[in-house]
Amino acid sequence: MFSKALFKQTMKANWVKWVAVTVATCVMLAIVIIVLGNLGINDIRDSLKDVFTQADQEAYLKDNAVDMYELYLTTAETNDQMTTFSGVGSTFINNLVSDFDNALTDYETENNAKPDEETVKQIASEKADAFIVQYESLIEMFMPDVNIEDLKILLNNVLLAHNENASLTGKDLLMEGYYITVYDNAYALAIEEEKTEADALSEASEAKEQARKIVVELGTIGTQEDYSDYATTYVNTEMYNMVYDMQIEEGATETEAKQYAVSVKVISNTAINTYQLWLEEGETAEKAKAEATKSISDQIPEKVAVALEELGDMDMYGLIIGSIFYRIAGLLLPMVFVIMVANGLLAGQVDSGSMAYVLSTPTKRRTVTVTQMAYMLWALLSMFAIVTAVSVVSVFIVGGNNFAINYAEILLFNLGAFLTMFAFAGFCFMCSAIFNRTKYSMSIGGGLTIFMLVCTILGLFGSDVVPSAMRIEAMNFFNYLSIITFFDTTSILAGTLSYLWKFAILAGIGIITFIVGVFTFDKKDLPL
Amino acid sequence: MEEEVIVVQDLTKDYGEGRGIFDISFSIKKGETFGFVGTNGSGKTTTIRHIMGFLKPRSGKVEVLGMDAWHDSCEIKKYVEYIPGEIAFPDLKDGTTFLRNQAELIGLKNMDKADYLIKRLQLDPSANLKRMSKGMKQKTAIVAALMANKDILVLDEPSTGLDPLMRETFLELILEEKKSGRTILMSSQMFDELELTCDRVALIFNGRIVDIADINALKNSDVKYYKIEFTNNLDFEKFKKLKYDITRVQEKYNQVTIKILDKDVNKLFKDLKKFEVKFISEVKHDLEKYFKEVLKKYKEEKDV
Repeated sequence: MFSKALFKQTMKANWVKWVAVTVATCVMLAIVIIVLGNLGINDIRDSLKDVFTQADQEAYLKDNAVDMYELYLTTAETNDQMTTFSGVGSTFINNLVSDFDNALTDYETENNAKPDEETVKQIASEKADAFIVQYESLIEMFMPDVNIEDLKILLNNVLLAHNENASLTGKDLLMEGYYITVYDNAYALAIEEEKTEADALSEASEAKEQARKIVVELGTIGTQEDYSDYATTYVNTEMYNMVYDMQIEEGATETEAKQYAVSVKVISNTAINTYQLWLEEGETAEKAKAEATKSISDQIPEKVAVALEELGDMDMYGLIIGSIFYRIAGLLLPMVFVIMVANGLLAGQVDSGSMAYVLSTPTKRRTVTVTQMAYMLWALLSMFAIVTAVSVVSVFIVGGNNFAINYAEILLFNLGAFLTMFAFAGFCFMCSAIFNRTKYSMSIGGGLTIFMLVCTILGLFGSDVVPSAMRIEAMNFFNYLSIITFFDTTSILAGTLSYLWKFAILAGIGIITFIVGVFTFDKKDLPL
Repeated sequence: MEEEVIVVQDLTKDYGEGRGIFDISFSIKKGETFGFVGTNGSGKTTTIRHIMGFLKPRSGKVEVLGMDAWHDSCEIKKYVEYIPGEIAFPDLKDGTTFLRNQAELIGLKNMDKADYLIKRLQLDPSANLKRMSKGMKQKTAIVAALMANKDILVLDEPSTGLDPLMRETFLELILEEKKSGRTILMSSQMFDELELTCDRVALIFNGRIVDIADINALKNSDVKYYKIEFTNNLDFEKFKKLKYDITRVQEKYNQVTIKILDKDVNKLFKDLKKFEVKFISEVKHDLEKYFKEVLKKYKEEKDV
């Protein structure tokens, strides 16, 4: 089944091609990995990624600035109202509070037990409702702008605050009720935005503290008709201080911290100004806020934004080493080798007639095909063993597992390239066994092989590894015409396992075509 | 020793459009040298390829040493050496490498015969295989085929490309092989070399064996051919009317060629006395003439 003499003869005939292709492929691969590894081709990607991270941060900052501005104005207005209300309506408040206390005491004597939390809340809500009904005309007179529903909630919270701390009276009690409202609102908003329970709680406390701070601030500036300028200054200063402290805490120098804090202040100022301008145009607060919190990524057209974002996510090393080198450039030379050698193993020798010298000796046809097949496999295996060694060493040189492509991935790339070439070798060998003429063996075996490579090149422009800005979806059609598609570098890089069954298909194609080749050659007529 | 080494019976391989070989039958005895002659594309090589087991017969059978040429092709090769019609060597560096590689494939250790052949053929085997002239390639192929001393030699046009002197040497070598008792099948387009070496020669035309000539019988034939020229046209015309088997007439020169049995020669001379003869000479009747005649007759029959 195997002839050493023939194997030696085949080796002598093909060793120059083998050496040339192996060396050239290794050099190409080493250059791709080492030189590009040192150039840092992912820099652009990283900076693009930075842009989007910054844009996200900017949007976050603007959002916070506008929220704080709104809170300031609301708090200021409320404070104003409270001040007026507490002057005129302290009697009413006192009445409300004592009504509430009486209701609680009644409950206690009736049930022989202190009311639980739920009951307190219920009683507070009842009393607040009753109060609104009782003094509706007065409320309309003194606070014409107030929303009755909001007031109901406020009064409810005032009662709860009183329940917590009985020593509070007048305006203090009203403000405490307001803080609870702010807290509840912030909590409800955070939950609506699908934040975690812990985050929502901390945001709510922060808003409550902010409201307290604003009231203190208002105490120093006195009550004003128009708070918006104060609000802007307040928010900008708050943002500045917060960022500055954070930077110092993180170990930045004062200059650095100042620089960063100022840039944040600029962002906050821009957001608030935009917000004010949109409100002046008569837009709703919602629309004004949306406009004010736009970042870079909101300002560019959506398709471009998606494209840029993908460009940022693109793995240049995966593309160049995986999709371009291992699936296209690195396959080309081994392909030429396989096409030439496979043809020369059988069809070429039958066509020229030199096969007669082998077959006129006591050498079976099966021995010839098996020996030639063994050579083909040996040549490919040894070639890829060397290529693999070079790739591993190259990856080691550019940083081993810290490199964008790790050892496991590079080994799988080599295995995939080998299996792809194994499938092509089997196919070319089969053609070489079927045809007696070089021209047919070459044009069908080699032609189809090169055709598939070209399809993979064209298909690259339609595949997912290319960012959508450069991708032409229709070109993906070409990927269906090439068996190189079964060499799934994307799956290998993504860490999914779908590449495994695709590898099995490639191996299957190789095994079947080699076997068909061997059996065909046994049975056919040879013009020798 | 009437053992039949190669038997071909009703061998047919139809390639369509009248091409191929049809109902080829012959057998070669041990120690016999058998020749194949025919025009290009007549089917010599196709027949030989069947004997070598490269082609599968459509119908009929081919046996070598009692084994089926297709099925036992590998076993048969232990006894058969072959010079293919088209000389193309494997992709190797030089003649020496090729011969050594070939010896390894055959399992041949002793290269004495090869060295002897190289000397006889004045071959330089160290020459680059690709650069070799046609003659050198042919010599290398001859050495490769003859060096193993196997029982049967199958030679497809082995003398093409050799210069006349080398052809002489080659024929001597074949005669030596023949003397050592080997069975030889040889095809050629040269009648003279087949006539010199073969015991029997088959004529193939359009894929069919037209005739198999026994060279010894031909050489010792009692049929002779004479060319006679007459001094005047009158005698020429008169002679034509006599009942001789005239094979060729050349009016311009008053020449006739006649075919006559040895026992009738006296009668011819008697008749010729009555004419003025310018000259008379025997025309050597060789294999070529013989086959030409056979073929002429064959074509006439087919046309009718």
